[in-house]
Amino acid sequence: MVAPTLDAEVELVAQLQRGSEAAFRTLVDRYQNRVYRTAFSLLRNPEEAEDVAQEVFVEVYQTIGRFRGEAALSTWLYRLATSRALKTRRRTQTKKRLAFFTSLLGFRNEVLHEPPDHAHPLTLLEGQQQFELLLAHIARLPDQQQVAFTLRHEQELSYEQIAAVLGTTVAAVESLLFRARQTLRKHVQPPFRHA
Amino acid sequence: MPEFANDPEGDAEWEGLLQQLRHQPLAQPRPFFYGRVQARLAAETSRAWLPGWMRRPAYAMLVGALVLVLSGDDKALASGTIPPAASAPIRR
Repeated sequence: MVAPTLDAEVELVAQLQRGSEAAFRTLVDRYQNRVYRTAFSLLRNPEEAEDVAQEVFVEVYQTIGRFRGEAALSTWLYRLATSRALKTRRRTQTKKRLAFFTSLLGFRNEVLHEPPDHAHPLTLLEGQQQFELLLAHIARLPDQQQVAFTLRHEQELSYEQIAAVLGTTVAAVESLLFRARQTLRKHVQPPFRHA
Repeated sequence: MPEFANDPEGDAEWEGLLQQLRHQPLAQPRPFFYGRVQARLAAETSRAWLPGWMRRPAYAMLVGALVLVLSGDDKALASGTIPPAASAPIRR
């Protein structure tokens, strides 16, 4: 996708602030895939990613009047998408924990918690399964590390762009990515290493 | 020092995994995404006249209960029960 020029983006924001529906449609068409993919890479669930993407555009529509252009429009959208995705994930985790405890207390007979995975790590370290293992460990990274890692390695944003999304410095992004890679490499190692 | 430092074979494996991550099939929303955003926007606008806390069922029920109590209906409901005299044991 060709990135819109700065002038085109400024004009789009101006039209949005005037309440143009055509401009809103252009915004959604232009950014829906990026917003959806960002949410999906943090949630790995199509329904939740869709929900977050919708929420992001609704919020943009409702609050565009307060957008002063301190950051690029795309940065603002990435910021909204990541923060809402993390919020959704926290809510889902809370629900899972609650469901687990209610199932322990015997309020319902069905098993609501995720059944434990008894697969030995050795059996997971093959081909696609190794990739699945990587995804599972990305999901367990601390929020900031996970956002930095997915924006870098899935959305292919530059360090400067990631710093703008997270509201931090490039050096801090480098540190987050270093720690994320270190953690992931410790957990996801080639199979021959364990033989 | 991590185990994987100075490990060209491990580095290649790791790079392969990162490539796989980068080249996953691109996820995208289902068709007619814009229509669904419009519908959601319309739904949000139609209930915007209610204060945020009233949109939560627990608060709405609490307010309903408070209105019922303050309106005095609880007294009327209580007076509908058996009067104390009628329920007293018969003395002979």
